[in-house]
Amino acid sequence: MTLVAGVDIGSTTAKCALIEDGRIVGKSLAPVGVELVKDAERALEQALAEARRDRGEVRVVTGTGYGRFKVTFGQFTVTEIGCHAKGAHFLFPGTRLVLDIGGQDTKAIKVDPNGEVVDFAMNDKCAAGTGRFLDVCAGALGYDVSEIGALSLGARHPVKVTNTCTVFAESEVTSYVARGKDPKDILAGLYGGIVSRSLSLMQRVGVEPEVTFTGGVSKNEGMVRTLERRLALRVNVSPLSQYVGAVGAALYGLERPTGAPA
Amino acid sequence: MITCGLDLGAGTIKGALLEDGQRLLATAIGPTRGNPVDAAHRVLERMVEEVNVLPDEVDYLCTTGAARYAFPDRHLQVSDITASARGAVFLLPGTRHVVDIGSQSSRAMSVSETGRVVRFKMNEKCAAGAGRFVDRCAKYLQVPLEEMAPKALAAAHPKMISSVCAVLAETEIINNVADEIPLADILMGVFLSLAQRAYILMRNVGIQPEVALVGGLVRSEAMVRALEQTAKTPVLADPRSHHAAAIGAALLGHARLQKLGGRPALLLAASG
Repeated sequence: MTLVAGVDIGSTTAKCALIEDGRIVGKSLAPVGVELVKDAERALEQALAEARRDRGEVRVVTGTGYGRFKVTFGQFTVTEIGCHAKGAHFLFPGTRLVLDIGGQDTKAIKVDPNGEVVDFAMNDKCAAGTGRFLDVCAGALGYDVSEIGALSLGARHPVKVTNTCTVFAESEVTSYVARGKDPKDILAGLYGGIVSRSLSLMQRVGVEPEVTFTGGVSKNEGMVRTLERRLALRVNVSPLSQYVGAVGAALYGLERPTGAPA
Repeated sequence: MITCGLDLGAGTIKGALLEDGQRLLATAIGPTRGNPVDAAHRVLERMVEEVNVLPDEVDYLCTTGAARYAFPDRHLQVSDITASARGAVFLLPGTRHVVDIGSQSSRAMSVSETGRVVRFKMNEKCAAGAGRFVDRCAKYLQVPLEEMAPKALAAAHPKMISSVCAVLAETEIINNVADEIPLADILMGVFLSLAQRAYILMRNVGIQPEVALVGGLVRSEAMVRALEQTAKTPVLADPRSHHAAAIGAALLGHARLQKLGGRPALLLAASG
């Protein structure tokens, strides 16, 4: 019986997953502030509280994500690419392609039957098509990003959002609102644009089922439906899709000689 | 002969009234606020009031800028690249390279002695190299726009921004604030980052002296310094260069009017 933890410090949220005997026994998720070391510690403490376990019982802590070096109390760090591959394979063993859309970047990761990374493509230079893009555009529509998920489902006449840049797209959304366009149709237009950008990343590594969608943006139902329609495939989305990186990190810890630093 | 140039930009509308293609009578500026046509009418009204002429005494009206086709009461429209090059050479004779940083796009042009565009490069896809970036930084650093440049000039160790994206740069700047980097250093980093983006366009076109900056940032000494430092060349800036494209449009209108040999009887309402 080995209890391991993965802590995923993203640009927007900190996630933690606790795994024991092939089961997820605890998890936590909270927004990050400016003190990432404290955010990382809090993520672990909260997951331990949920699992009713003590810090001393955790054999290995593995950090991942953009702020993985802030997981100063961990034994290892692993890139989020590897963790998303491993985590997606754990939740959906048939996964061959992972699409991860986080707060600040988008990745398409091709994985082998063992959950190892074969190839990946990434956009981390620009906020276009990321969670941040959705945040900003939801704001321009007068919504919080958590409220817009199912809103686009009844869209009849999606608008065309021509701008890629988040800043310009925000103005475009504002001008559509001013012209009286239905928020449903505007959102459907935005999702279409994000999915197009994601597809070009996915095509760079090769689209092969099963496709697993991870990261905060996978919580958005409208995005999932748009992606499925464009791929003409069912897409795996776990209720734990935001924790996939943390789950993968925890699993990496199991592969290490117990407790011994690399 | 009085000609008018109106530059209908994404952020602001600029106007210029010109007499005989030589004397600048008036300039005006107003925010676009999503309605370029109404805003342009207001700018025109302010200028004719200022110089005390009747609107009817304006012989020719030429528009430029992103919304140049939207303004119905025009005789002619010209591209903003053509117009701002012509205006820059009028204001700053000797200019052979023009950098124009607008609210939503930026461009670099090499120009002939007479202000004709020889080569140009443009970025209109992304806010990273555009003036909007400065507006946004002012907003989330809570520094009034007009105080940004004076404050930035006090920078001892400017903090460069590594993000290419204007949105991701915000996160980076917030982290810099959290790391207690002095405000002046962060602000100068904003201007240097914008200068870096402009320099990529400038290098692509080929830099030759004199280099002139036009657009809204000409009044920002920090921007001029940042550009000089980045491009390693002196940069001319005239406060009136904010109106370079409007002035250029008025000049091009005058040239067309002379070619026509007289004032056209009717405005070509919405036909251009």
